Amino acid sequence: MQVWTKLFAKSPFKPLIKHSEVVIQTVEALEKALNAWYHGNYGEMRDLAIEVDRLEDIADRIKEEIRDSLSSRLFMAVSREDILIYLHMQDKVADSAEDTAKWLLVGRPEGVPEEIKEVILTMGTESISAAKLLHRAIVQMDRVIESGFAEKEIEKEYELIHAIEDVEKAIDELDTELMRLVFERAGSLDWGTGIYILNVARTLSNISDKAKDAAERLRLMMNK
Amino acid sequence: MSWLLLTVILGFAMAWAIGANDAANSMSTAVGAGAITPKQAVLIAGILEFAGAYFFGKSVTETIRKGILDPAKITDPAVLIYGSIAALLAATVWLIIATKFGLPVSTTHSIIGGIAGYGVVYAGFSIVNWGKMTQVVLSWILSPIVGAVMAYLVFKALTRTIFASDNPLKSARLWSPFWIGLAFVVIGTMFYIKVLHGKDLKTGVLLYGIPAGFVVFLITYALIRLKFPINDPYIGVESIFRRVQVVTSGYVALAHGANDVANAIGPVAAVYAVASMGMAGMKVPVPRWILALGGLGIAVGVATYGYRVMETVGRRITELTNTRGFTIDFSAATVVLAASWLGMPISTTHTVVGAVVGVGLARGIKAINTSILRDIVISWFVTVPVAGLISAVIFKVLMLVG
Repeated sequence: MQVWTKLFAKSPFKPLIKHSEVVIQTVEALEKALNAWYHGNYGEMRDLAIEVDRLEDIADRIKEEIRDSLSSRLFMAVSREDILIYLHMQDKVADSAEDTAKWLLVGRPEGVPEEIKEVILTMGTESISAAKLLHRAIVQMDRVIESGFAEKEIEKEYELIHAIEDVEKAIDELDTELMRLVFERAGSLDWGTGIYILNVARTLSNISDKAKDAAERLRLMMNK
Repeated sequence: MSWLLLTVILGFAMAWAIGANDAANSMSTAVGAGAITPKQAVLIAGILEFAGAYFFGKSVTETIRKGILDPAKITDPAVLIYGSIAALLAATVWLIIATKFGLPVSTTHSIIGGIAGYGVVYAGFSIVNWGKMTQVVLSWILSPIVGAVMAYLVFKALTRTIFASDNPLKSARLWSPFWIGLAFVVIGTMFYIKVLHGKDLKTGVLLYGIPAGFVVFLITYALIRLKFPINDPYIGVESIFRRVQVVTSGYVALAHGANDVANAIGPVAAVYAVASMGMAGMKVPVPRWILALGGLGIAVGVATYGYRVMETVGRRITELTNTRGFTIDFSAATVVLAASWLGMPISTTHTVVGAVVGVGLARGIKAINTSILRDIVISWFVTVPVAGLISAVIFKVLMLVG
């Protein structure tokens, strides 16, 4: 019954970091799947894509748990709304990875030209690097609060956010290049392969896109 | 004389209840942040609550605590005796109930409620000095606000000087002795005023406070060695403050003993004065042995019931880091000691809770449960009326029987 034990509620950041860890595992599994795809090891790719799906489920469950525990009666160092939206975006990173995995599973990789494969692999690796940066950013956010919002810690956090934004910009360019490459080959590619390529690319670029949205939320958390 | 004996026993019981209820309030941040074990907390609190009460406790007390009743309207010494007994018993009962539910309530307000309760039964509402009562009610608001402002400022200063620096660990090594030193400036000054009965505040600060603070600063600085392997500067800072908190939790216990012992022994002193010299007027001296009795009661309360409470607290608060715990302890204790020497009616409990909110407002605590905060504040509003009601009933019975 001691109120002192209940007055200090659990920090939402530890669970957020735990969620982020699962998101990282998800995108890393996707990264491996993409490499297997690039090297033509389709059996291995299939196993890894299924693993992506499984990990995304775990991330989902953690997300629900965090949402349930974030009572509106908590007085927190950052607003509840920012935390919930951040969580939503961080979860979308894993969702996007799952989308890519789905396309890898159902699509036909045999007809994809080497040159396009190259661009997709670069896009994937880059985009996933944004998700990895996001993990560092949420860990750093915990540090920012621990330091009482010290200037130098905020500075470090901004650097990470900028890095994520830069990746997202680079991915946008790669995306445009890929679309150009696909339409240049409109005559020789069959429609199925075209749709397959464009969707794998779109879902891959979504990963960095959502990582950027999440990073934007972190920026808002520090602004207040 | 048997009435005096009964009052002494009840005073001891009240002191016990203060120890049981408040020890957890003043030590739980330190125990919760892992700075001290519950066993150490009991030892520190027991010794320093006693020291605070015995050395820094009020040597003169009002016959009626805080002059809450008009003493001119009480002409019958028996009323004062029965009333004191009723007030003590009521406050003790309410404190025990509150402790049972884990609610941190003010011991000051409990005894004031008890006194007002018997006064109203005896002579109606006009006997209550409503001006004083307003002051006391204001302290509900004042204590947490002052505690919050102080904690906010201390936390800001702490982050500026330590976390914002290029080498937090090095800064912590310099600044943590500074804070401990500052605490000893206050303790040293209190020593001059309370123990040596000095009158001049400036003399106290310059000749006792600052030298004491400086010596302690040097000792602490020499003692804090940076030997542990440093991978993460923040973990290093926290481990320094874990040691600092051992000192500040003692500081809290000392402040609490000094401030709150009067609640238990004030009525005892009043009855003692009546028994030994008849109606004695507004203020009566407090013999040393009564202060010792109060201090001992608090220490026993800490050891018997406070231990259990702190064990629960220690296991369950894991979210509070040492720098935060330190901020709460240091701010609350400084505010309480300063206020008790300015004669301001301040509640230790309310100040500690205010300090928690202050650190929260400075964005220092990741999550505070506001529904619990609301429960605590409600319990504050209930304290005076409930203690008053219990006291009124007991007084009525005593008047009929006695």
